[in-house]
Amino acid sequence: MTGLALDSTQLDRYSRHIILDEVGPAGQQALLEGSALVVGAGGLGSPVIQYLAAAGVGRLGVADDDEVERSNLQRQIVHADADVGRPKAESAAEYVRRLNPDVDVEPHETWLDAGNAEDLIGGYDIVVDASDNFGTRYLVNDVARLTDTPVAHGSIYKFEGQATTLRPDGPCYRCLFPEAPEPGEIPDCASTGVLGVLPGTVGCIQATEAVKLLLEAGEVLDGRLLFYDAMDMTFETVPYRRNPECPVCGDEAIDSIEGIDYDHGCSVTAD
Amino acid sequence: MNWKLFADLAEATGESEPEVDAADAATVGEALDALLDAHPALAARVLDDDGDLRGHINLLRNGRDIREGEGLATPVDEDDELALFPPVSGG
Repeated sequence: MTGLALDSTQLDRYSRHIILDEVGPAGQQALLEGSALVVGAGGLGSPVIQYLAAAGVGRLGVADDDEVERSNLQRQIVHADADVGRPKAESAAEYVRRLNPDVDVEPHETWLDAGNAEDLIGGYDIVVDASDNFGTRYLVNDVARLTDTPVAHGSIYKFEGQATTLRPDGPCYRCLFPEAPEPGEIPDCASTGVLGVLPGTVGCIQATEAVKLLLEAGEVLDGRLLFYDAMDMTFETVPYRRNPECPVCGDEAIDSIEGIDYDHGCSVTAD
Repeated sequence: MNWKLFADLAEATGESEPEVDAADAATVGEALDALLDAHPALAARVLDDDGDLRGHINLLRNGRDIREGEGLATPVDEDDELALFPPVSGG
Protein backbone atom coordinates (compact mmCIF):
# COMPACT_ATOMS: atom_id res chain seq x y z
CA MET A 1 0.00 0.00 0.00
CA THR A 2 1.32 3.43 -0.87
CA GLY A 3 -1.34 5.47 0.86
CA LEU A 4 -2.15 7.25 -2.39
CA ALA A 5 -5.82 6.62 -1.75
CA LEU A 6 -5.77 9.14 1.10
CA ASP A 7 -6.65 12.65 -0.05
CA SER A 8 -4.97 15.76 1.32
CA THR A 9 -7.71 16.42 3.89
CA GLN A 10 -7.37 12.86 5.15
CA LEU A 11 -3.58 13.11 5.29
CA ASP A 12 -4.12 16.11 7.55
CA ARG A 13 -6.97 14.66 9.65
CA TYR A 14 -5.19 11.37 10.32
CA SER A 15 -1.62 12.71 10.33
CA ARG A 16 -0.95 11.60 13.92
CA HIS A 17 -1.90 8.07 12.95
CA ILE A 18 -0.05 8.13 9.67
CA ILE A 19 3.30 9.04 11.23
CA LEU A 20 3.09 6.02 13.54
CA ASP A 21 5.05 3.08 12.14
CA GLU A 22 2.42 0.73 13.55
CA VAL A 23 -0.39 2.47 11.64
CA GLY A 24 1.02 4.44 8.72
CA PRO A 25 -0.90 5.23 5.54
CA ALA A 26 -1.71 1.54 5.02
CA GLY A 27 -3.17 1.19 8.50
CA GLN A 28 -5.24 4.33 8.11
CA GLN A 29 -6.47 3.03 4.78
CA ALA A 30 -7.47 -0.21 6.52
CA LEU A 31 -9.48 1.76 9.08
CA LEU A 32 -11.19 3.76 6.32
CA GLU A 33 -12.02 0.55 4.48
CA GLY A 34 -13.05 -1.22 7.69
CA SER A 35 -16.43 -1.59 9.33
CA ALA A 36 -17.63 -2.04 12.89
CA LEU A 37 -21.00 -2.65 14.48
CA VAL A 38 -21.45 -1.11 17.92
CA VAL A 39 -24.23 -2.91 19.80
CA GLY A 40 -25.59 -0.40 22.27
CA ALA A 41 -25.26 3.40 22.19
CA GLY A 42 -25.20 3.80 25.96
CA GLY A 43 -22.43 4.24 28.50
CA LEU A 44 -19.94 1.89 26.84
CA GLY A 45 -21.09 2.59 23.30
CA SER A 46 -20.67 6.36 23.62
CA PRO A 47 -16.86 6.50 23.75
CA VAL A 48 -16.59 3.55 21.35
CA ILE A 49 -18.67 5.38 18.75
CA GLN A 50 -16.79 8.63 19.31
CA TYR A 51 -13.30 7.14 18.99
CA LEU A 52 -14.10 4.82 16.08
CA ALA A 53 -15.66 7.74 14.23
CA ALA A 54 -12.66 9.96 15.00
CA ALA A 55 -10.31 7.19 13.86
CA GLY A 56 -12.06 7.11 10.50
CA VAL A 57 -13.57 3.64 10.60
CA GLY A 58 -15.25 3.80 7.21
CA ARG A 59 -18.57 2.16 8.01
CA LEU A 60 -19.93 2.36 11.53
CA GLY A 61 -23.15 0.61 12.52
CA VAL A 62 -24.95 1.64 15.70
CA ALA A 63 -27.65 -0.76 16.94
CA ASP A 64 -29.93 0.44 19.73
CA ASP A 65 -33.70 0.54 19.98
CA ASP A 66 -33.81 2.82 23.03
CA GLU A 67 -34.50 6.51 23.35
CA VAL A 68 -32.29 8.96 25.22
CA GLU A 69 -33.40 9.63 28.78
CA ARG A 70 -32.14 12.47 30.96
CA SER A 71 -30.77 9.95 33.49
CA ASN A 72 -28.51 8.56 30.72
CA LEU A 73 -26.60 11.80 30.27
CA GLN A 74 -24.45 11.37 33.39
CA ARG A 75 -22.44 8.75 31.45
CA GLN A 76 -23.72 8.39 27.86
CA ILE A 77 -21.62 11.21 26.49
CA VAL A 78 -22.45 10.80 22.82
CA HIS A 79 -25.92 12.25 23.60
CA ALA A 80 -26.75 15.78 24.76
CA ASP A 81 -29.56 17.39 26.70
CA ALA A 82 -31.44 18.33 23.53
CA ASP A 83 -31.44 14.64 22.48
CA VAL A 84 -33.70 13.51 25.33
CA GLY A 85 -36.56 11.57 23.77
CA ARG A 86 -34.73 10.93 20.47
CA PRO A 87 -33.72 7.43 19.38
CA LYS A 88 -30.19 6.74 20.64
CA ALA A 89 -29.11 5.27 17.29
CA GLU A 90 -30.09 8.48 15.51
CA SER A 91 -28.62 10.78 18.16
CA ALA A 92 -25.31 8.89 18.00
CA ALA A 93 -25.37 8.89 14.20
CA GLU A 94 -25.79 12.66 14.16
CA TYR A 95 -22.75 13.00 16.44
CA VAL A 96 -20.72 10.89 14.02
CA ARG A 97 -21.82 12.88 10.97
CA ARG A 98 -20.77 16.12 12.66
CA LEU A 99 -17.43 14.67 13.73
CA ASN A 100 -16.18 12.99 10.60
CA PRO A 101 -17.58 13.05 7.05
CA ASP A 102 -15.34 10.09 6.13
CA VAL A 103 -17.51 7.78 8.20
CA ASP A 104 -20.62 6.21 6.71
CA VAL A 105 -22.73 5.82 9.83
CA GLU A 106 -25.57 3.30 9.80
CA PRO A 107 -28.09 3.71 12.63
CA HIS A 108 -30.09 0.52 13.32
CA GLU A 109 -33.05 1.45 15.47
CA THR A 110 -33.68 -2.12 16.44
CA TRP A 111 -33.31 -4.61 19.29
CA LEU A 112 -30.73 -7.20 18.33
CA ASP A 113 -32.50 -10.55 18.42
CA ALA A 114 -32.14 -14.08 17.11
CA GLY A 115 -34.00 -13.05 13.94
CA ASN A 116 -31.77 -10.16 12.84
CA ALA A 117 -28.44 -10.79 14.60
CA GLU A 118 -26.82 -12.85 11.87
CA ASP A 119 -27.57 -10.32 9.12
CA LEU A 120 -26.48 -7.40 11.27
CA ILE A 121 -23.31 -8.85 12.79
CA GLY A 122 -22.32 -10.71 9.63
CA GLY A 123 -22.42 -7.43 7.72
CA TYR A 124 -19.45 -5.92 9.58
CA ASP A 125 -15.74 -6.73 10.00
CA ILE A 126 -15.94 -6.56 13.79
CA VAL A 127 -18.54 -6.09 16.50
CA VAL A 128 -18.21 -4.14 19.74
CA ASP A 129 -20.45 -5.49 22.48
CA ALA A 130 -21.55 -2.41 24.39
CA SER A 131 -24.95 -3.84 25.31
CA ASP A 132 -26.50 -3.80 28.77
CA ASN A 133 -27.99 -7.26 29.29
CA PHE A 134 -26.89 -10.89 29.30
CA GLY A 135 -29.31 -12.02 26.59
CA THR A 136 -27.79 -9.66 24.03
CA ARG A 137 -24.26 -10.44 25.18
CA TYR A 138 -24.66 -14.20 24.69
CA LEU A 139 -26.43 -13.62 21.39
CA VAL A 140 -23.55 -11.43 20.17
CA ASN A 141 -21.00 -14.04 21.27
CA ASP A 142 -22.81 -16.91 19.59
CA VAL A 143 -23.65 -15.19 16.32
CA ALA A 144 -20.22 -13.58 16.05
CA ARG A 145 -18.68 -17.04 16.36
CA LEU A 146 -20.98 -18.49 13.73
CA THR A 147 -20.13 -15.63 11.35
CA ASP A 148 -16.37 -15.56 12.17
CA THR A 149 -16.63 -11.99 13.46
CA PRO A 150 -14.25 -10.77 16.21
CA VAL A 151 -15.86 -9.15 19.27
CA ALA A 152 -14.52 -6.42 21.56
CA HIS A 153 -16.45 -7.17 24.75
CA GLY A 154 -16.93 -4.83 27.70
CA SER A 155 -19.33 -4.83 30.64
CA ILE A 156 -19.71 -2.86 33.85
CA TYR A 157 -21.11 -3.02 37.37
CA LYS A 158 -21.17 -0.01 39.72
CA PHE A 159 -17.40 0.69 39.98
CA GLU A 160 -16.02 -2.38 38.19
CA GLY A 161 -15.55 -3.34 34.59
CA GLN A 162 -14.65 -6.42 32.57
CA ALA A 163 -13.20 -6.47 29.06
CA THR A 164 -12.04 -9.21 26.75
CA THR A 165 -11.65 -9.77 23.03
CA LEU A 166 -13.08 -12.78 21.26
CA ARG A 167 -11.39 -13.87 18.04
CA PRO A 168 -12.87 -16.52 15.77
CA ASP A 169 -9.93 -18.86 16.48
CA GLY A 170 -9.73 -18.19 20.23
CA PRO A 171 -11.87 -18.94 23.27
CA CYS A 172 -15.36 -17.41 23.37
CA TYR A 173 -17.39 -15.76 26.12
CA ARG A 174 -19.06 -19.08 26.93
CA CYS A 175 -15.64 -20.63 27.65
CA LEU A 176 -15.51 -18.16 30.56
CA PHE A 177 -19.17 -18.12 31.52
CA PRO A 178 -20.97 -21.10 29.93
CA GLU A 179 -24.43 -19.81 30.83
CA ALA A 180 -25.87 -16.48 31.92
CA PRO A 181 -27.28 -15.79 35.36
CA GLU A 182 -31.06 -15.76 35.38
CA PRO A 183 -32.63 -12.36 34.61
CA GLY A 184 -32.73 -10.20 37.74
CA GLU A 185 -30.10 -12.24 39.55
CA ILE A 186 -27.46 -9.58 39.03
CA PRO A 187 -29.02 -6.12 39.36
CA ASP A 188 -28.70 -3.64 36.49
CA CYS A 189 -27.45 -0.03 36.40
CA ALA A 190 -30.95 1.38 36.90
CA SER A 191 -31.30 -0.33 40.26
CA THR A 192 -27.67 -0.31 41.49
CA GLY A 193 -26.34 2.93 40.04
CA VAL A 194 -23.07 3.24 38.12
CA LEU A 195 -20.17 5.69 38.34
CA GLY A 196 -20.59 7.86 35.24
CA VAL A 197 -16.97 7.76 34.12
CA LEU A 198 -16.68 3.96 34.54
CA PRO A 199 -18.08 3.06 31.10
CA GLY A 200 -15.81 5.75 29.65
CA THR A 201 -12.73 3.85 30.79
CA VAL A 202 -14.05 0.44 29.78
CA GLY A 203 -15.49 1.69 26.48
CA CYS A 204 -12.13 3.26 25.59
CA ILE A 205 -10.49 -0.14 26.15
CA GLN A 206 -13.05 -1.69 23.79
CA ALA A 207 -12.42 1.04 21.21
CA THR A 208 -8.68 0.40 21.49
CA GLU A 209 -9.25 -3.29 20.86
CA ALA A 210 -11.55 -2.54 17.93
CA VAL A 211 -8.94 -0.33 16.28
CA LYS A 212 -6.23 -2.97 16.81
CA LEU A 213 -8.47 -5.66 15.33
CA LEU A 214 -9.05 -3.53 12.22
CA LEU A 215 -5.34 -2.69 11.99
CA GLU A 216 -4.35 -6.29 12.75
CA ALA A 217 -1.76 -4.75 15.07
CA GLY A 218 -0.59 -5.37 18.61
CA GLU A 219 -1.67 -7.97 21.12
CA VAL A 220 -5.42 -8.04 21.61
CA LEU A 221 -7.14 -9.20 24.80
CA ASP A 222 -8.01 -12.65 23.49
CA GLY A 223 -7.80 -15.45 26.04
CA ARG A 224 -7.51 -12.80 28.76
CA LEU A 225 -10.18 -11.18 30.91
CA LEU A 226 -9.30 -7.70 32.11
CA PHE A 227 -10.77 -6.51 35.40
CA TYR A 228 -10.85 -2.80 36.16
CA ASP A 229 -11.73 -1.49 39.62
CA ALA A 230 -12.33 2.24 39.59
CA MET A 231 -12.37 2.56 43.39
CA ASP A 232 -9.09 0.71 43.95
CA MET A 233 -7.73 1.98 40.60
CA THR A 234 -6.41 -1.45 39.72
CA PHE A 235 -6.27 -3.44 36.50
CA GLU A 236 -5.84 -7.21 36.59
CA THR A 237 -5.82 -9.69 33.74
CA VAL A 238 -6.70 -13.34 34.10
CA PRO A 239 -5.93 -15.83 31.34
CA TYR A 240 -8.59 -18.25 30.12
CA ARG A 241 -8.62 -21.02 27.59
CA ARG A 242 -10.89 -22.48 24.99
CA ASN A 243 -13.13 -25.09 26.58
CA PRO A 244 -13.21 -28.20 24.36
CA GLU A 245 -16.73 -28.83 25.65
CA CYS A 246 -17.93 -25.29 24.89
CA PRO A 247 -21.22 -25.60 23.00
CA VAL A 248 -20.39 -22.63 20.78
CA CYS A 249 -16.67 -22.97 19.99
CA GLY A 250 -15.80 -26.44 21.28
CA ASP A 251 -15.25 -29.74 19.50
CA GLU A 252 -18.96 -30.31 18.99
CA ALA A 253 -20.05 -26.76 18.38
CA ILE A 254 -23.53 -25.72 17.32
CA ASP A 255 -24.07 -24.56 13.74
CA SER A 256 -27.07 -22.35 14.46
CA ILE A 257 -28.59 -20.50 17.39
CA GLU A 258 -31.96 -22.14 16.88
CA GLY A 259 -33.52 -23.20 20.16
CA ILE A 260 -31.35 -21.05 22.46
CA ASP A 261 -33.54 -19.05 24.87
CA TYR A 262 -31.74 -15.73 25.17
CA ASP A 263 -34.35 -14.44 27.61
CA HIS A 264 -33.66 -17.11 30.25
CA GLY A 265 -30.11 -18.21 30.94
CA CYS A 266 -29.03 -18.50 27.29
CA SER A 267 -28.54 -22.23 27.79
CA VAL A 268 -27.50 -24.32 24.80
CA THR A 269 -29.44 -27.52 25.31
CA ALA A 270 -27.70 -30.56 23.93
CA ASP A 271 -29.96 -33.13 22.36
CA MET B 1 -5.38 -18.05 51.95
CA ASN B 2 -6.61 -14.67 50.82
CA TRP B 3 -10.00 -14.34 49.16
CA LYS B 4 -10.99 -11.69 46.67
CA LEU B 5 -14.59 -11.26 45.54
CA PHE B 6 -15.74 -9.33 42.49
CA ALA B 7 -18.88 -7.34 41.60
CA ASP B 8 -22.08 -8.35 43.42
CA LEU B 9 -20.32 -11.24 45.21
CA ALA B 10 -18.54 -8.70 47.42
CA GLU B 11 -21.95 -7.34 48.43
CA ALA B 12 -23.05 -10.76 49.68
CA THR B 13 -20.25 -10.67 52.26
CA GLY B 14 -20.05 -6.90 52.75
CA GLU B 15 -16.38 -6.81 51.78
CA SER B 16 -14.30 -7.63 48.74
CA GLU B 17 -11.49 -9.30 50.71
CA PRO B 18 -13.19 -11.22 53.51
CA GLU B 19 -10.99 -12.69 56.23
CA VAL B 20 -11.64 -16.39 56.65
CA ASP B 21 -9.95 -18.73 59.07
CA ALA B 22 -9.17 -21.77 56.94
CA ALA B 23 -5.56 -22.45 57.80
CA ASP B 24 -6.14 -26.22 57.71
CA ALA B 25 -7.87 -26.27 54.32
CA ALA B 26 -5.97 -28.62 52.02
CA THR B 27 -8.01 -28.04 48.85
CA VAL B 28 -9.78 -25.18 47.10
CA GLY B 29 -13.07 -26.90 47.94
CA GLU B 30 -12.29 -26.89 51.68
CA ALA B 31 -11.27 -23.24 51.53
CA LEU B 32 -14.51 -22.46 49.70
CA ASP B 33 -16.53 -24.35 52.33
CA ALA B 34 -14.94 -22.24 55.06
CA LEU B 35 -15.71 -19.03 53.17
CA LEU B 36 -19.32 -20.02 52.53
CA ASP B 37 -19.85 -21.25 56.11
CA ALA B 38 -18.83 -17.80 57.30
CA HIS B 39 -21.01 -16.07 54.67
CA PRO B 40 -24.24 -17.99 54.01
CA ALA B 41 -25.60 -15.22 51.76
CA LEU B 42 -22.66 -15.81 49.43
CA ALA B 43 -23.37 -19.55 49.40
CA ALA B 44 -26.91 -18.87 48.16
CA ARG B 45 -25.44 -16.75 45.37
CA VAL B 46 -22.66 -19.03 44.11
CA LEU B 47 -23.98 -22.58 44.67
CA ASP B 48 -26.76 -24.32 42.79
CA ASP B 49 -29.44 -26.53 44.37
CA ASP B 50 -27.06 -29.48 44.36
CA GLY B 51 -24.36 -27.53 46.18
CA ASP B 52 -22.11 -27.26 43.12
CA LEU B 53 -20.52 -24.02 41.98
CA ARG B 54 -22.88 -22.42 39.47
CA GLY B 55 -21.84 -22.38 35.83
CA HIS B 56 -21.34 -18.63 35.61
CA ILE B 57 -19.18 -18.37 38.76
CA ASN B 58 -15.44 -18.64 38.20
CA LEU B 59 -12.95 -19.58 40.89
CA LEU B 60 -9.31 -18.68 40.45
CA ARG B 61 -6.30 -19.87 42.41
CA ASN B 62 -3.37 -17.49 41.98
CA GLY B 63 -4.95 -16.09 38.83
CA ARG B 64 -5.64 -19.47 37.21
CA ASP B 65 -9.05 -21.01 36.68
CA ILE B 66 -9.34 -24.08 38.90
CA ARG B 67 -10.99 -25.90 35.97
CA GLU B 68 -7.49 -25.94 34.43
CA GLY B 69 -6.26 -27.74 37.56
CA GLU B 70 -8.16 -30.32 39.56
CA GLY B 71 -11.28 -28.26 40.16
CA LEU B 72 -12.34 -28.05 43.79
CA ALA B 73 -9.79 -30.78 44.58
CA THR B 74 -6.95 -28.44 43.57
CA PRO B 75 -4.50 -28.22 46.53
CA VAL B 76 -4.08 -24.87 48.29
CA ASP B 77 -1.38 -23.29 50.42
CA GLU B 78 -1.98 -20.77 53.15
CA ASP B 79 -0.58 -17.85 51.14
CA ASP B 80 -2.56 -18.59 47.96
CA GLU B 81 -4.83 -15.96 46.41
CA LEU B 82 -8.32 -17.26 45.72
CA ALA B 83 -10.84 -15.24 43.73
CA LEU B 84 -14.51 -15.65 42.85
CA PHE B 85 -16.01 -13.67 40.00
CA PRO B 86 -19.30 -13.57 38.11
CA PRO B 87 -20.03 -12.01 34.72
CA VAL B 88 -21.48 -8.51 34.76
CA SER B 89 -23.81 -7.14 32.13
CA GLY B 90 -24.09 -3.37 32.50
CA GLY B 91 -23.33 -1.13 29.60
